[in-house]
Amino acid sequence: MQDFPPRTATFFSGTDAAPDPDPDTRTPAAFLRWVLGRQKALIALSSLCYALWFLPMTLGPWIFGRAVDDGIVGGSTPALLGWAALLLGVVAIGAVFGIVSHTLVVRTWLIGLYGALEMVTRKVVQMGHVLPRRSPTGEVLSVASSDSDEFGALTEILARTVGQLVSYLTVAAIVLTMSWQLGLLTLVAAPVLVGAALPLLRPLHRRQQLERSRTSDLTSLATDIVAGLRILRGIGGEQTFGANYDRQSQSAKEAGVAAGIWQAVVEAVGVLLSGIFLVTLVWLGARQVEAGALTVGQLITFLGYGLFMVGPIRTFFEFAQKGVRSMVSARKAIAIFEQRPPWRDPAEPVALDGTAELHDAASGLTVRPGILTVVVSAVPEQSSALADRLGRYLPADTEPVPLDGDVDVRGRAARRARAEKARERARIAALDEERAGRDWGVTLGGIDLARADLADVRRQVLVSDTGSQLFAGTLQDAVDPHGRLSREQAEHALRVANAEDVYDALPEGWQGQLDERGRGLSGGQRQRVVLARAIAADPPVLVLVEPTSAVDAHTEARIAERVTQTRRGRTTVVTTVSPLWLHHADHVVLLHDGTVVAEGRHADLLETDDYRRVVARALDEEEVSR
Amino acid sequence: MSAPSSHDLLATSAATWRDRTEDPPAVPPELRPPPAGVGARERNRALWRRHALRRQRAEDVYAASRNPARGWPVSGNRAVLAFFGDLVRSRKRSFAVLVALNALAAGSALVVPRLLGELVNRVESQGSGVEGLDALALTVVGVVLLQALFTFGAQRTSTHFGQDLLASAREYIVGTILRLPVGRVEGASTGDLVTRVTRDVGTMARSVQWGVPRLLISLLTVLLSVVAMLLNSLVLAVPALLVFALCTPAVRTYLQRAPKAYITEGATYSRINTTLTETVEGARTVEALGLSAARVRAGSDDIEVSAQAERYGMTLRNVLFTALNGAFQVPQVVTLLVGAYAYSRGWVDLGQITAAMLYVVALSEPLDAVIGEVDRLQVGAASTSRLLGIAEVPPDREPGDRLPDGVELVGEDLRFAYREGHDVLHGVDLHLRTGERLAVVGPSGSGKSTLGRLLAGINRPRTGSARVGGVDLVDLPLEVLRTEVALVTQEHHVFIGTVRDNVVLAREDSSDDAVREALRAVGALAWVERLPEGLDTTIGSGRNALTPAQAQQVALARLIIADPHTLVLDEATSLIDPRTARTLEGSMNSLLEGRTVVAIAHRLHTAHDADRIAVVMDGLVVELGSHDELLELDGEYAALWRAWTS
Repeated sequence: MQDFPPRTATFFSGTDAAPDPDPDTRTPAAFLRWVLGRQKALIALSSLCYALWFLPMTLGPWIFGRAVDDGIVGGSTPALLGWAALLLGVVAIGAVFGIVSHTLVVRTWLIGLYGALEMVTRKVVQMGHVLPRRSPTGEVLSVASSDSDEFGALTEILARTVGQLVSYLTVAAIVLTMSWQLGLLTLVAAPVLVGAALPLLRPLHRRQQLERSRTSDLTSLATDIVAGLRILRGIGGEQTFGANYDRQSQSAKEAGVAAGIWQAVVEAVGVLLSGIFLVTLVWLGARQVEAGALTVGQLITFLGYGLFMVGPIRTFFEFAQKGVRSMVSARKAIAIFEQRPPWRDPAEPVALDGTAELHDAASGLTVRPGILTVVVSAVPEQSSALADRLGRYLPADTEPVPLDGDVDVRGRAARRARAEKARERARIAALDEERAGRDWGVTLGGIDLARADLADVRRQVLVSDTGSQLFAGTLQDAVDPHGRLSREQAEHALRVANAEDVYDALPEGWQGQLDERGRGLSGGQRQRVVLARAIAADPPVLVLVEPTSAVDAHTEARIAERVTQTRRGRTTVVTTVSPLWLHHADHVVLLHDGTVVAEGRHADLLETDDYRRVVARALDEEEVSR
Repeated sequence: MSAPSSHDLLATSAATWRDRTEDPPAVPPELRPPPAGVGARERNRALWRRHALRRQRAEDVYAASRNPARGWPVSGNRAVLAFFGDLVRSRKRSFAVLVALNALAAGSALVVPRLLGELVNRVESQGSGVEGLDALALTVVGVVLLQALFTFGAQRTSTHFGQDLLASAREYIVGTILRLPVGRVEGASTGDLVTRVTRDVGTMARSVQWGVPRLLISLLTVLLSVVAMLLNSLVLAVPALLVFALCTPAVRTYLQRAPKAYITEGATYSRINTTLTETVEGARTVEALGLSAARVRAGSDDIEVSAQAERYGMTLRNVLFTALNGAFQVPQVVTLLVGAYAYSRGWVDLGQITAAMLYVVALSEPLDAVIGEVDRLQVGAASTSRLLGIAEVPPDREPGDRLPDGVELVGEDLRFAYREGHDVLHGVDLHLRTGERLAVVGPSGSGKSTLGRLLAGINRPRTGSARVGGVDLVDLPLEVLRTEVALVTQEHHVFIGTVRDNVVLAREDSSDDAVREALRAVGALAWVERLPEGLDTTIGSGRNALTPAQAQQVALARLIIADPHTLVLDEATSLIDPRTARTLEGSMNSLLEGRTVVAIAHRLHTAHDADRIAVVMDGLVVELGSHDELLELDGEYAALWRAWTS
């Protein structure tokens, strides 16, 4: 029998083994069936245990009624003791299965929850940089943080509903044998009570939705205040934004009160309806006792069942609500899980040689092996696009398409918008496939990158761009994420990137903790640790995009010198316009409108006006002022 | 270049480097169940051993959350009680109404079983031709109607009360955040605060909004049920209540341990989310460095840890359920047996037995709710203590009543340490000349940013003083300080609010004309007036998005409104994104015009343009003079300049 956490290898196995089969993402319902189907046996078993847990409630009133009839009114002590013993037995069974079903249901819930979490992580690493091109980060994360829980909740409510259904049918059988009129009433009452409350739910939901949206606006206001707290405390504005928050807080309160009042209406109507049902039942029962068709004990049994019916009704209700919620979640999950990486590894991959010449057809750039090439461009986007091509990354030219647009749009307009979004997603996916499928246009040693395995490309060419991120962990993890370096190598990398001060700022040295995304470090420190990591990775071809944009001139000068030294003999490409890098460069390339217009040594290129304009801002001004 | 020797900085490297092949697994093997084939008794024993170990882990997580090594402080339980005590006391009236209405609702609910019991009695005693059956049934309908009305009223007041309490609590919290000491805000990471205003406020909201009223209602129902049972029949009530009471020790143990379990579970889920967020946001980095397998492993490890926390909670609940299932169901059997005996003795009638049975069955729900709500309230209290901890940060300055006489900014013998015994500045003297532009250059870690913060009055120097017009900056009231000197960093946060809200920060009473003037000065008036509602347009995250250049113009307009005579620009070139630099140069110039400027410069052309340049190395100003003077001196700066221009 499965246990939690589940062993998952969907989308990405992390080993050479093939990943598990993909989930069924054709429709939300199909996906939910797939989710539930994965733990069929467990859910069936917990349904059974639920039914046994409800046994005291299912059989209790009947036993109690018989005990009243035979034992109390009938005055037979053995009969009374017999029924009491049966009741105790039923209670004991209920108690044992209460614990078993709780254990099982926690298990199914967490298998559902953790399973979805694992799938999100694995989908993200399977897709790599392609996923953020297509889906907003927030949507990916919300599948993990909230939708995964819905899938867990679905397994629980399904098992509970089946269990309650069994109880409900058992009770129905019992009451029908006692009195078909009352039995029918009890059976019909359940759906009728649910139906009567339904019209109230729609306005309640609307108000709850409003409350949720105002509360989430309020949370963004608070987050916003904290994010800009330095400005608020440094420059001022506490009163304005404090007052804004208070205003939004009051409006969230009003929405909450409105929703609460509707909730109160629903509860009160529930009390009224179930009370009236109970009275009707007892009144009819009393009439039947009067007519001699029913015993007193049976009347008491009906009383007990009148109270009991509330449970199954609530459960069926909850099932309907959670069912709808999981369909919504399934739709969101599908939008992530159905995506496929655009890459097709070639049938006969060619091994790449990282020590060979690198050539980009689109720009006409040729990177000679073993030297430092600096790419200069007045427009930073153009040099980073070039770096993307060199590393076989799809260009950053798409806007991620959110699944849902404006929540206020409903009905046909919403469907149209949704279809529009789906088309846009499909368009991007097709574009990616097309780009990934054809020749890439960048060759390493004369071999187009598309003819090699993508993993091989990543091993040979490391592109460290401005979006490179640090991960939470120790400084040692940050510099040596694979755990392959010796201490001396790591120290060397830290020195090359001139990031010794980061080490020094952490009392625990290598074991000092960095926060997530390196938050808590200054921009310059972060950049230097990222650089140290790239240096430590020591790839055959290293492409650094603006590696020192956030550090001061002193440090930049030092870094440029040390990187040049340490990379000597290996291919390195740096995009920057800083003279401090340029005069260490073995070869400088000037990019204009994305193509190479001039190349040579820094000192020689300085003779040309175009180059001077881009590179030597300070020099230009000096020239002008003299 | 005489940088601080790298060997010194990495002196402890050998001691702190770790061989990670021997890292312990995320979950120690002791927490794994024994292999198949172990006997049932040993299995059982192993389960309880694991349970004890998991309890220890939960206690540790809880203790750590109460006493964070980093981040903001956490207050004690007493402060939480006092906080809510005050909030409730200020709403005495609505609290009284709340209790009264809930008591009425619960009371009327308890009348129904009595009336039904009475009905059974009549049916039993009179056989056929029962008198007053219809009247009795109508009475019950009347009571049910009343109960529905009272329920509505009680729920309505609960909502009002809960929402009001919640609104006051969260507004108070945000108020304290807005009063946090400037020095702390400037230095600390805001991540912890973000967690508090999102997750902790959410948890507190759930317990204040639902927990407090529901606990009250359930407690009242339980109390009144017990009273009703006793009134119905002493003989029937006492044995059943005694059985209920048997579960008290189990409930108490549960309530002591469960909050820690839930707080631990919550911590594991936020860890899962943090790791996943990093993986998603750094998807490209993961791919580039081949970290896919490592990230998947990190995610699985988080889940393993979370599963252990869940198992602890699950076992705690199983133990509780064992007790509760017995305590809630056995009283039915007891009522039946005692009822039969008492009936045969003529002490009770059938109606009383019926009512007692209904009471016993109905009591389990509110009792369950009481346990659940106490549980939830404890978790809420833990969050609240983290929120109230924010208020415990001591203020870092006591404004004096002296106002500056003049605009001259002078730093003397400035020393400062973030960690005790680790001075970053070693006695810096700096006299700013009114209206000059001073560039501060130096390698990272040399202390130039710290110097900027002291000159802007953000932090109090350990020794020496930073004064404006003869008064210590840190002794000025904040609103005065802000109009004297401003620290400008590369952050250009656009707040959610109107354009006007976003500009008037330093002088919140500024007129629209002043705002327009400031926007005009930075060249932003044209696009602001094209916005749908001009100055009243709401901007900020998720609203009308501004381009980076527009955001920077807004940031500059704020400073024009503040109108300080001295600006300290940290990473000044970063304030202006290179991509927008060309368009913003004019805006920047109109801000700097006529002010004293200290520019902590990364780019040498900033230094070159300045009147004077201060070279900071190792916490000291080693060179100070104009560009030409420093070139003449042929020191640090000259060497750097040559590197730049060669």
